[in-house]
Amino acid sequence: MSEVPEDIAETVVKRFEEELKKPVRLVYFTQEMECPFCAQTHQLLETVAKLSENIGFEVYDFVKDKEKAEELGIEKIPALAILGGKDYGLRFYGIPSGYEFQTLIEGIILVSSGDSQLPSEAVEVLAKAATSPVHIQIFVIPTCPVCPVLGAMAFQFAVANSNISVDIVEIAEFPHLVNKYNVIGTPKAALNETTQFEGLVPPMQFINFIQQAAQGSPTGISPTI
Amino acid sequence: MKKVTEKQAIYDIAIIGSGVTGLAAAMYAGRMKLKTILIGFPPGGVIATTDWIENYPGFISLSGKELADKITAHAKEYGIEPILDNVTDVSQQDGVFVVQTAFRQYRAKTILFSTGTHYRKLEVPGSDTYEGKGVQFCGLCDGPMFQNKTLAVVGGGDSAAKEALILTQWAQRIYIMVRGDRLKAEPINLERVNQSEKITLLLNTNVTRIEGGDRVEKVLLDKPFQGNKELAVQGVFIAIGSVPLSDLAKKLGVKTNPKGEIVINRQTGTNIKGVFAAGDVTDTEFKQAITGVAEGVLAVYQAYKYIGGEAVSSCVDEEYLDCPMASENLRKQPE
Ligand SMILES: Cc1cc2nc3c(=O)[nH]c(=O)nc-3n(C[C@H](O)[C@H](O)[C@H](O)COP(=O)(O)OP(=O)(O)OC[C@H]3O[C@@H](n4cnc5c(N)ncnc54)[C@H](O)[C@@H]3O)c2cc1C
Repeated sequence: MSEVPEDIAETVVKRFEEELKKPVRLVYFTQEMECPFCAQTHQLLETVAKLSENIGFEVYDFVKDKEKAEELGIEKIPALAILGGKDYGLRFYGIPSGYEFQTLIEGIILVSSGDSQLPSEAVEVLAKAATSPVHIQIFVIPTCPVCPVLGAMAFQFAVANSNISVDIVEIAEFPHLVNKYNVIGTPKAALNETTQFEGLVPPMQFINFIQQAAQGSPTGISPTI
Repeated sequence: MKKVTEKQAIYDIAIIGSGVTGLAAAMYAGRMKLKTILIGFPPGGVIATTDWIENYPGFISLSGKELADKITAHAKEYGIEPILDNVTDVSQQDGVFVVQTAFRQYRAKTILFSTGTHYRKLEVPGSDTYEGKGVQFCGLCDGPMFQNKTLAVVGGGDSAAKEALILTQWAQRIYIMVRGDRLKAEPINLERVNQSEKITLLLNTNVTRIEGGDRVEKVLLDKPFQGNKELAVQGVFIAIGSVPLSDLAKKLGVKTNPKGEIVINRQTGTNIKGVFAAGDVTDTEFKQAITGVAEGVLAVYQAYKYIGGEAVSSCVDEEYLDCPMASENLRKQPE
């Protein structure tokens, strides 16, 4: 999907009108000879940016704009940094199509307000868990209906806690990561190269994994859904 | 997860489980102006993991997630904001139900259990070892990882048929292992299975073991297929039914049947006053989205009456003679 269907666009516009009060920058990295999914991703993001005047769209060349890529920690393309009043560490690698379109919209809304929407108790528990930087990668596919739940939850954690950064990775574009992280089912999460889990887990369980990653203790896989 | 500000409020109804049943109940509770809390995880429940629904009246065809999203949006129209969390405990204190999540406690006058079910695991050697390594439960989530592979779907009901049909998008060949002598699917799905060139039905066949190296490589069968009791497959999708999530209800003393399903009466009441149950977690025989939704709505109406709400007449035309209120009014009319 590089075009947004009209009914979906209408719903998104309505949500943006209600919830997108502050500016958001979609900073997109591609390259001159666009990769297979780069052109589609480019078109999709351009369309999304047009759905609200509060969204700015910037395009950088991954090779030529090396400094910008380094500044935002971008190591592969197609890549998107979703920036609000500050950089909350939200990244999307690959095309946010299918169900993943929802994750993109949630990310945009979260960084706009800078409010994680988490209950204050959850933010406190998270603060105690994420005592050092935790980089979360969530591997997804566009047909996975439960993936956006985990992705949006991780985005909430990143907005709530500056020690957390999140990459959503659409695996079709990055087959080497499928092998590296042994992704057989989605969603699958890899935290700080030490902790992994597969499936959709409730918030508290996710926070426990974050704590393990922050402490550097390795864990195996705990499939749920 | 949404922010909740009111901590000590007493809700009229706490709905536990946000599958289609809980979502529809919440929508109705919003309409009935009940102070409502809906807590559930994951949002949408099991239906969100199936690709197409063709038997929910009013929609010729839509995905399960679309249906769940639509009911969620409908509930939000009435001010319901689902809390995305797990309920870890329930109790009854001083006539009020106390619902505990990982982060907060909520108090309510009535409870609706719409906690649904969880996938049943296949209890054969290798099933646990290879869970997530080829033993999978969600075709839509994991199917694309099995492009051009050979798969086994284990199960004899409609869910097995639907999982196999979903997987035909990616897999090269799919064997449905049916314990009984036929696949008990909805006739329309059975027809699709029979027409699919990718699907082979193995009737009266049990998987006895799952084997492999790092990932699944084969299943062992109790009956030879083409002269061999070993079948090379790269994935095994389990669709052998589900286990009702009724442990929380049991803590309150709610009666369940030997399958663990919550026993309800025609009005969705349980043996405990103020406790209602609806949808897949109950002992209703035919478990579908539409039946769960209907039960959820009925449960909310009963909860509304339980806390003192006045009965709502469903008579649209008071002159209609079958309507009790109408006949009363007619009786009052002068000759
Ligand atoms: C593969 C498949 C295909 C299907 N196809 C169809 C179809 O085509 N048409 C149709 O009508 N029906 C279909 N069904 C059946 C239908 O999906 C179910 O009948 C319906 O979704 C049940 O909804 P529910 O809300 O009662 O339960 P569920 O969907 O199970 O929802 C219950 C929710 O409560 C949550 N929960 C449980 N315990 C807790 C707790 N302690 N704290 C918080 N949350 C909790 C669960 O995690 C879940 O999210 C299908 C089912 C399957 C498996």
